[in-house]
Amino acid sequence: MADILTTDAREVAATPRPSWNWRPKRDTLLGASTIIGLLVIWELVFQLELMPRWAFPSPIQVAYAFYELTMNGELFTNGSASVVRQFTGVILAAAFGIPFGLWLGASPTARAALLPLCRLVYPIPGIAWIPLAILWFGVGFNSTVFVIFFSGIWPIIFNTMAGVQTLSGQYTDVARVYLAPRTLYTRRILIPGSLPFIITGLRLTYGVGWRVIVGAEMISSIVGLGFLIDNARWQLRPDIMVCGMITIAMIGWVSENWFFDWVERRTLEKWGMKANSI
Amino acid sequence: MMHVSNLYKRYVTNESEVLALQDINLAIQDGEFVSLLGPSGCGKSTLLKIMAGLLNSSQGSIEIDDKKITAPGPERAVVFQDYALFPWLTVEANVEFGLEARGVPLAKRREVSAELLKVVGLQDFAKKYPHHLSGGMKQRVSIARALAVDPEILLMDEPFGALDAQTRSTMQEELLRIWKVYRKTVVFVTHSIEESIYLSDRIVIMTARPGRIKAVISVDEERPRDMTSPAMTEMQRQVRAILGEEIDRAAALEQADLVAAE
Repeated sequence: MADILTTDAREVAATPRPSWNWRPKRDTLLGASTIIGLLVIWELVFQLELMPRWAFPSPIQVAYAFYELTMNGELFTNGSASVVRQFTGVILAAAFGIPFGLWLGASPTARAALLPLCRLVYPIPGIAWIPLAILWFGVGFNSTVFVIFFSGIWPIIFNTMAGVQTLSGQYTDVARVYLAPRTLYTRRILIPGSLPFIITGLRLTYGVGWRVIVGAEMISSIVGLGFLIDNARWQLRPDIMVCGMITIAMIGWVSENWFFDWVERRTLEKWGMKANSI
Repeated sequence: MMHVSNLYKRYVTNESEVLALQDINLAIQDGEFVSLLGPSGCGKSTLLKIMAGLLNSSQGSIEIDDKKITAPGPERAVVFQDYALFPWLTVEANVEFGLEARGVPLAKRREVSAELLKVVGLQDFAKKYPHHLSGGMKQRVSIARALAVDPEILLMDEPFGALDAQTRSTMQEELLRIWKVYRKTVVFVTHSIEESIYLSDRIVIMTARPGRIKAVISVDEERPRDMTSPAMTEMQRQVRAILGEEIDRAAALEQADLVAAE
């Protein structure tokens, strides 16, 4: 027995520590140089006037637009408006989609009754809901959130459902053997057991939401990054358009990766379940 | 006291019907250590699952203290072959799962899990997650989880089947020690002849499909048993002779299944 314990002590000690001294790796350098290369080509196209100047800004103009929009607060106002809508839409989608997905996963009857309808509604692009959403909720916050909600709800529903369905039957056996009541089963087994799939679903929901928000704001809003981009058309300011696009990319990149990676580190990696996630 | 009488289990697939268990009759005394031994696919795990209340029988009944069982109950706990620990719960929370299900308050649960983790030698691992543990340690946690609800009957489904030989023999010692302290009735499924002789009071040898009871052998030797003693060697030879026939038949059945599947 002593022998077993020492082996395991070593195993425990060998779990990966976070690395403190971060150095750029070859892959990071390669990725960065591609982006720099694109910037150079972009500037060249501008300098050689391969595209008409009124419709094609230079990177320097875009950088200046960034400065301008940051100083006059427009970037912050519009950016935060979009982020608040996004969060509201995604939280609503999760609040509704996770329980619904758990239910679909756990009940064959619910699946038989509701899946055909879900599959039918699912292919409707989020943007197609905008006109109807405007009729129902008017122009602005509510209709935009509705569109994010309706576009983003599907991945979280389907992934949560798949998570429950692939959950090992043995966990259910354990719950039955120890006479676990339904609530404990849901809280202690169903939700954490499907978490790899729930997180994947949330990632997709978040991504889909962030991608439709701009379209929604172009049509149904007077504030937000989508509005900023669309409005720049009337001012003939392509630099502002690109500035808005880059802002969308950066906010999306940071939140999609950093936030969900953080959640995964706190849960799946800690539990040694990372390999199960898709 | 557990009574299995005239128990049958049929599996019905779309076209065919497979008889997994046929006319099982068995009485297990309180505090007895009984092994179910048989070739793979003989239905020994199915029988254990029916005892656990996880599967229904097709015919016949199981009674515990004269009460017919059809579902899991507080007097039984199961130790699964691949541990079935929850990776998202700490070792102590895993041990406490059955108590939590029974609504035992946290302070009391902690007390029980601390004591049982000491019993299985894992007191230093209470706050760890299962993936930090080796197979043998995981199975100790699983045993502690079963003991936590203080059952009368411990149902063990090839609990040491996935362990390497050395860990396996350590775990056998541990199990006997625990069994002596807590005096539970143990039903132990295994396909290892040695393991069943080393551990049990009685060995129930089952036939290849359909699973019937072929022989019941009592092992009266004092524990700890010396497996190299003449009496134990003779017993191993005897059990192997009874089981050998069935292992051959199980292999032939499996081959026939494969041919039929083509």
